Formats: sequence, structure tokens, C-alpha cells
Amino acid sequence: MSQEQAAEKNVPVIELRHVDKHYGDLHVLRDVSLSVARGEVVVIIGPSGSGKSTLCRTINRLETIDSGEILIEGEPLPQEGRELARMRSELGMVFQQFNLFAHMSILDNVTLGPREVLGQPKEEAEKYALELLARVGVAEQAHKVPAQLSGGQQQRAAIARSLAMRPKAMLFDEPTSALDPEMINEVLDVMVELVRGGMTMIVVTHEMGFARRVADRVVFMADGQIVEEGAPDDFFDHPRSQRARDFLDSIKGH
Amino acid sequence: MSAARTLSMRDALYEAPGPRTRRRVRIGTAVSAVVVLLAIAAVVRQFWVTGQLAPRYWSLFLQWTTWRFLGQGLLGTVAVALTAGAIALVLGLVLMLGRTSGVRPLAALCRVVTDFFRGVPSLLLIYFFFFVPAQLGLKLPSFWMLTLPVALAASGVLAEVFRAGVNAVPRGQVEAALSIGLSRGKTMRKIVLPQAVRYVIPSLIAQLVVVVKDTTVAYVVSYPDLMQNARVLITSYDALVSLYLVIAVIYILINYAINKASVAVANRTGVKIVR
Ligand SMILES: Nc1ncnc2c1ncn2[C@@H]1O[C@H](COP(=O)(O)OP(=O)(O)OP(=O)(O)O)[C@@H](O)[C@H]1O
Ligand SMILES: [Mg+2]
Repeated sequence: MSQEQAAEKNVPVIELRHVDKHYGDLHVLRDVSLSVARGEVVVIIGPSGSGKSTLCRTINRLETIDSGEILIEGEPLPQEGRELARMRSELGMVFQQFNLFAHMSILDNVTLGPREVLGQPKEEAEKYALELLARVGVAEQAHKVPAQLSGGQQQRAAIARSLAMRPKAMLFDEPTSALDPEMINEVLDVMVELVRGGMTMIVVTHEMGFARRVADRVVFMADGQIVEEGAPDDFFDHPRSQRARDFLDSIKGH
Repeated sequence: MSAARTLSMRDALYEAPGPRTRRRVRIGTAVSAVVVLLAIAAVVRQFWVTGQLAPRYWSLFLQWTTWRFLGQGLLGTVAVALTAGAIALVLGLVLMLGRTSGVRPLAALCRVVTDFFRGVPSLLLIYFFFFVPAQLGLKLPSFWMLTLPVALAASGVLAEVFRAGVNAVPRGQVEAALSIGLSRGKTMRKIVLPQAVRYVIPSLIAQLVVVVKDTTVAYVVSYPDLMQNARVLITSYDALVSLYLVIAVIYILINYAINKASVAVANRTGVKIVR
């Protein structure tokens, strides 16, 4: 199915159907179904250990699933090889720990994918990379190595690295949790810009302000299950489940 | 990244010594110096008593032919050590790549081979290369009868050194590489290996010390290395203790230089040493 056809038929960009996953005896994902439409921003929240990261990571197969289905634009997620690599290249992923390549300059971090995976010539890749780095506000750092950047700068560079692949959707797994408080907003601002640009996004985060502001939908997970989902204002102001109420109370304490 | 971490390591493990600790360190240093001096004096006295210091055991070192002969041996040692080191480097890398390839049978095979070469005494490997090819009618030069087993033994260790380096590369970077669509192979080549090799360069150089020591069993295959040539001189001059002392000093100097080099490289590149 081509991209236009997919858009026409309103096929979700990302869809999980009855996904189950175990780590040994631990049932980390229980019958999870989730569908994300083009341009939609879904924020996933929930207590530690509820399976949010695992859910995120199954979508580009950094974790395998036991049963169920994952569809990207209506196509089943490939299991291995070139097809899997191509699918991964079309989904951007941003990690809590930034995970920039420590031995490369920021510019090389951003151009590696376009050059090695998309086969872009160096000049073209660097031109676009510099544009992206400027957009996330770290253009001056392009020729430094990651260790020379602050956490906030590193995370913004990591976002640029994902954007360089012109992804169909972006997955964020607690992108601001490893940051000092004063750097959180500079990263959230970049993400808000992405939302404005119409990017399809799944964001695992504890930043409730951000969720309220930009999410189309909030998904609350506990014990590997999606317990509740809804529009942000509905969810935050009138949580239906006791688990969600408890969770919201517990984070309000901070 | 790692530079800062390495530098702070010492401070993290030990607090800066206070005045009392400093005094204890000074006393300890003085006491051990006295003990070492006493031990040396005892050894020298024993040599004197048993007549090992007599000129006839030492006069050979006044002839330059002695030094030339030892020098030739030293060149032999260096040739074997460097060749074996180079082979072990390549083979060790190949074994590690096989073991971490994710292809089950290949990984198992490489694992067995690695453990075998690491576990078998190199002397046994040398006997193997001394006897088996000959049995099969193959005539190996003595250089290779020594170099190959030493290289194989070292390759097992180097495979493990490389693997430690690979494991030291944060898993997150591998996931980031996969998530932008890099294949496993490219992730290994572009992300993991460049960092892993940087981590282990000092250990690789230090491993040369073991290779040099392994070459000293050259007499088994009568290859003229430093040790073998020393043994020839020992029989012709009947000067056992003096010769062993001199070549021991030479080996110590070589290995000291290698260690210095590895530490220098470690400091220069600012890598943490992974063993
Ligand atoms: N590789 C693994 N092997 C075994 N158990 C794991 C593994 N990864 C995660 N788990 C367990 O699975 C559960 C879900 O983990 P996950 O990281 O998805 O939670 P999370 O919702 O992201 O939590 P957090 O808010 O702390 O990041 C946890 O109990 C965790 O200990
Ligand atoms: Mg998590």
C-alpha cells in the first residue's frame, strides 16, 4: 500500500492489536491494543514498571512480542533483515539516555543514517543535518562530540538525528527524564514544534503540562495493561479508574 | 567522556591522604626499601660465597661476539613476537566477531575455539606444531613452528579482550543505530568496533608481554631466539647464572617498555582500561 493510499483510507500509522509479551514469568504487556492516526500525538503515562518503555520498544522491534500484531501503515512489522531495517528507519526513536554515538561529532551522528541507510551523498546529508541542528538550536555544536554537550543539547541533537531520516512517526521514551530541570523545557519546546509541524508521535513522559498542552489522547498504563485513555483534559480532570486517580495523586505530591 | 571518568577514578576510590596517612606511607616506603636492599645484599653475598661473581663467569660479556649473538637472538624474539601478535590480533577479532555474530552454530564454534586456545598451555600447542605437521610429511620452518602456536594461544585471549571492549560499548548506542535502520553488520562496524578497539588498545599492547614470554620456549623447536641463543652460550661458556641474570634483565626491560607504551597510549587516548 502506498503512502497516499494509506492516508486516503485513513489507515493508522501505528496499530497494535492484542499484543502480549512476557519476560520469563513477568507478563509485561497484556492484550495491548492501540491505534495512532496520522498526525496524532499520543502520550503514554503510568507508574514505573507498567510496561511503557516495553510498549514503545516493541513498535520498532527492539523488543519482540509473544502474540498479537503490530502494523505500520497497515503493513505487519517485518521480523528481520532488510525489511525490518527499512521499517525502523521510517520510525524515529528518542531515548531517555540520548544514546548519541560517543565517538562521532554531532554532525556525523545526524548524517550517519541518511548516508549509510538512505544512501544520500555527503553534501546533501550535511546540508539537511545542519538545517535540522539549527532548527533544534544546536547548530554551533555540530562539530563537537556528544560528551562536550549538555544533556539538553544532546537530547535535541538526538531528536535531529531521528528527524534526518524523515520518519513517518516518532517514538519518545521519557525524553526528559534524564535531564536537569532547567533543561527540560528546551527539549519539550522542540517537541512542541514537531507537534505543530504535524508529526505523528507516541510520547512516554511524566511531563503532565506537556501532555495537557499537546496530546490528542492520553493513554494510562498499569501492570502491562491500558487501563484508561481519553482526551487530556478529560483524563486529568476526571479520571475514571481508581488506579489513574491514585497515580495522578501520587505525582501531584511532587 | 571516558577521560574525565578515568581521571576521577583514583579520587573516587581513595580519598586524598591526610597528614597521618602521609606519614604512614613514608614509613612504609622506607621499610620496604630497606627490606629490598637487604635481600639484594643477601643474594650478592651468596653469589660471592659460591663463587658466581668470579671473572670467568662474566668476562664473556666483554666480547662483542657475545652481544652480537644475543642481539641476533633478540631480533629473533622480536620477529616472532610481532608476527604472532599481528596474527593473534586478526584471529582474535575474527573469533570475537564469530562469537557475537548471533549465528548459533558459528558462535558456538568460535566460543569453543576461543576457550580451547585460551585454556591449553602454549607449550602443548608448540609440541603439537613440532610433531603433527612432521607426521603428515609437512616441513614447517622453525620460525612458524614457534610463531603459529604462540599466535593461536594469544588469539584466544585477544578474542576475550575484544569481547570485553564490545561489551563496554553502551547498549543504548547499538539500539540507537538499529533504530535509524542500520543493519547489525553496519552497527558493529560503524558504532561498536571503533569504540571497542579504542577501549582495549592498552590491553592489546599489554598482551604483547605474554606473547614475548611465550616465545621463550623456542628451544623446543630450536628456533634461535634470545633464550635459545643464551642457552647456547651457557653450554659453551659454562656460565649459567650470569647469562640467565643478563637475559632476565633484557626481558624485563622489553616488557617494561611494552607496559610503559600501553600506559602511555591509555593516557593519550584517555580511554578507560578494559581487561
Ligand atoms: N530486559 C528485561 N528483562 C526482564 N524484565 C524486564 C526487562 N525490561 C524490562 N523488564 C521489566 O518489565 C517491566 C516493565 O518495564 P518497562 O521498562 O517497560 O516499564 P516502564 O513503564 O517503562 O517503567 P519506567 O517508568 O520505570 O521506565 C518492569 O517490571 C521491568 O522490570
Ligand atoms: Mg521506561
